[in-house]
Amino acid sequence: MTDLTNKSVTTALSGSSVLRVGKVPTGFWYALPILALLVLGFLAPMLLVVLYSFMPRGTFTPWGSPTLENYIDIVEQNFYISFGWSLWLAFLSTAILLIVAYPLAVAIKRAAPNRALILTVLIVAPLFVAENIRLQGWVLFLDKAGVLDGGLNAMFGVGTGSLVTNVPVIVFGIVYIYLPFMLFPMILGLSNVPPDVREAASDMGATRWRMFRDIELPLAAPGILIGSLLCFVISLGAFSEAKFLGKGVIVTIAQDIESAFTFGQNWPRGSALSVLVILLAGSAVYIAMRRMDLEKMLGRRE
Amino acid sequence: MSDSIIRRLLGVYVTLIVTCLYIPMVVVGLASISRSRFFVFPIRRTSSKWYESTFSSLQVEEAVWTSIIIAFFVAILSVVMAVFGALAYARYTWKGRKLYQQVLLIPVFFPQAVLGLALQLWFNSLGVQMSWPATVFAQLVWIAPIVTLIVAIQAYGYDASVEEAARDLGATRWMVFKDITFPLLGPGIFSGFLFAVLLSWGNFPLAYFTSGADVTIPEWLYGKMIGGYTPMVPAVGFLSVVAGALALIIGLTIRSRIARVQ
Amino acid sequence: MAGSTILELKSVNKYFGDFAAVERVSLSIAEGEFFTIVGPSGSGKTTLIRMLVGMDKPTHGDILLRGERINDTPAHMRPTCMVFQSLALFPHMTVGENVEYPLKCRGTDKAERRRRAEECLGLAHLSTDYYERPVAKCSGGERQRVALARALCFDPEILFFDEPLSAIDYKLRKMLEKEIKDIQRETGKTFVYITHSLEEAMIMSDRIGVMRDGRLVQVGSPREIYKAPESRFVSEFMGEVNILPVTPADGKLMCEPLGLAFDPPPGEAIRAGSLIVRPEDMRFVNGEQPTNTVIQGEIFNEYLLGSRVQYQVRAKGVTLLVERLRDADTPDRNIELSFAPEDSMLFSE
Repeated sequence: MTDLTNKSVTTALSGSSVLRVGKVPTGFWYALPILALLVLGFLAPMLLVVLYSFMPRGTFTPWGSPTLENYIDIVEQNFYISFGWSLWLAFLSTAILLIVAYPLAVAIKRAAPNRALILTVLIVAPLFVAENIRLQGWVLFLDKAGVLDGGLNAMFGVGTGSLVTNVPVIVFGIVYIYLPFMLFPMILGLSNVPPDVREAASDMGATRWRMFRDIELPLAAPGILIGSLLCFVISLGAFSEAKFLGKGVIVTIAQDIESAFTFGQNWPRGSALSVLVILLAGSAVYIAMRRMDLEKMLGRRE
Repeated sequence: MSDSIIRRLLGVYVTLIVTCLYIPMVVVGLASISRSRFFVFPIRRTSSKWYESTFSSLQVEEAVWTSIIIAFFVAILSVVMAVFGALAYARYTWKGRKLYQQVLLIPVFFPQAVLGLALQLWFNSLGVQMSWPATVFAQLVWIAPIVTLIVAIQAYGYDASVEEAARDLGATRWMVFKDITFPLLGPGIFSGFLFAVLLSWGNFPLAYFTSGADVTIPEWLYGKMIGGYTPMVPAVGFLSVVAGALALIIGLTIRSRIARVQ
Repeated sequence: MAGSTILELKSVNKYFGDFAAVERVSLSIAEGEFFTIVGPSGSGKTTLIRMLVGMDKPTHGDILLRGERINDTPAHMRPTCMVFQSLALFPHMTVGENVEYPLKCRGTDKAERRRRAEECLGLAHLSTDYYERPVAKCSGGERQRVALARALCFDPEILFFDEPLSAIDYKLRKMLEKEIKDIQRETGKTFVYITHSLEEAMIMSDRIGVMRDGRLVQVGSPREIYKAPESRFVSEFMGEVNILPVTPADGKLMCEPLGLAFDPPPGEAIRAGSLIVRPEDMRFVNGEQPTNTVIQGEIFNEYLLGSRVQYQVRAKGVTLLVERLRDADTPDRNIELSFAPEDSMLFSE
């Protein structure tokens, strides 16, 4: 497989034009388009954000004289509150997701192939519906005179009242939206537990709990870790949940960033807040990268 | 506890969760046929008038087209990049591969609102007009790596020596790609395409910050939800759900055909 | 060697839908016995052992351990243990942690666990240095020994093996076969072994059960299986054999393709069927008095099989195999073959 690497290299798209490049490996050429996209569409904007975060308040150019005032503002103007809320929400949601997703992952892993496929499709499909619509659906379900409250009232004369506009419902929304992001890495992780290893442990007299603790959890750990970090990072940036379900009961960091860019017209402040999020997300992703062998996980076929 | 009890409990749990996943879609469908301006349950009078006004709305029509065009370009471009990206990911051994595999995941693992804003800032300073092509680019940054991973799974799944065999039998590189690699990657490419279309169709944050005056369906919904609820919101929402579901079903059917042919 | 019955199967059946993977298997295995179940792939032997271990339940029939019905006792409640085909070592643990795992499950204290683990490592011919080594760093043969040590550490009443040696190279396999046999002698435990290789079964077992299409077709000592196979299937399973289709003709067995009639094996009624002769029972007629009809043939190939030579002989378009000890004189191209009636076997099927 590897000996193709150093031979002549074709820009395979055009086919006819054979571009001979001495030392550069084929893999690199193939990776080039998407790498270029990421440099232009990810790295460069992120660097720009970093640059902006050191600009004086309210400037609209990245070439002013650098200053730390935005970071000082963040501390002085209590932005850490929204930061704290975001962290707390992300942490809480991730913890709940771990508990909610695990039995589901086990069930899908154990199901017959056909049924597992149907379940997978059923769980993936909602991902393709805009978050806004799904959250709106929950609002209509949980709000006063919504499906739940109205339905219970009509049947028993007692309703739940409004279940929106509070913090737990925001967590519920995040858990709802990001369930697949926890579930699928977890299933990948559980695929790392060979069935006969499980049987062997059982044969040796391991109880259900012991099996979970000694065999399943350690072997599935990489997948579970990835799922957790993934959920933590994306729920750190959550804002629709707080906006629609929470209806402004708390403000998350992503909302602060948005308003700094839009209403506030203060790009450097928005940038500084973004940098903090980037740092947090970045370190989480970095930990995930160090720990996992994604290649092995993707390459594993059943 | 015996195995059968556990299995039954798991079954109940799975049913419960999957039902929960679909509650909002059902509620949105219900809300869209309620006659009153504000949604009250149980619905007293049903009406199709919100669908009528949806279908006659020029704004909605425009938003649908914008969404479709963006999804189309995103899907095509991301699949092209992903096929090569996946070969680099799974097939070839090269010096920077490990790093490349890690870098590829970063945009996927990233808060989208922050990415959208960063891109807005970036386009602004480059003097790029915010409009649907900018959104195509923005969504590509997120979707192309995902499609690459999907195609890469397929690329891991087949024996690389068939390519060498073809080469050995005298095929040119282009012929190997056309006759061997591409068909073998087929199901993965198709899944990737489907994913790209659907992810783009449902994406809000990236479109919101980069599309400027152009409005996609999720953006239109957002605007209405912020600016004042109208039952057109669930009507459009439900139609969007149905469109997505149809695309998914058609896509899966075609995919299983492809798989069967192989 | 053979004591009282430890494991008894009473007409055990296992159905997957309409398909009978195991059908009416009855068997009793004695305490301290090395019993091997042998059969080609798909013969139901793996399904059978999974029921014996407790990972599957029989559809009908009973499995008795020391007279007690254990059909519904799950694997972890049985005093038996299995060495898996894949070995099923815990990949994230060290050798020591693997070996002492059964003791950990029982709540044995740490020092005692280590002592027992090292003892079992010794039984499996691994030095105690391996205790701290991660399983991931062990070679194929070492992994085999770890799996064996782990099963021994369980101290099972019966130790089951599901083709553990099938993925190992020839030389190491031969060595481990003998070691497993030695360990069985040393510990005096009951071993129930599954394999598709009759050769392996012959080397290790006290008794062998041959399986075919879910049924146990013959049970006996290696010698009995070799000397007196009860069916054409068993005789063929033993290795390469010559098969002559025969029909009755004037008190003899007529083989149409050869155009020759042979004397039947002693005590066998004349009937249509297959006459089976092992290659080593085919003789070149070298002047001595032939004991049966002579076959004229021509040698067209010869293979060296270690201490033996196998000749392929063509007679009227039929290919016959002859094996004999390697010796100096090479036979002529055109030769005469014969076999003693008592060395042939007649099967009706």
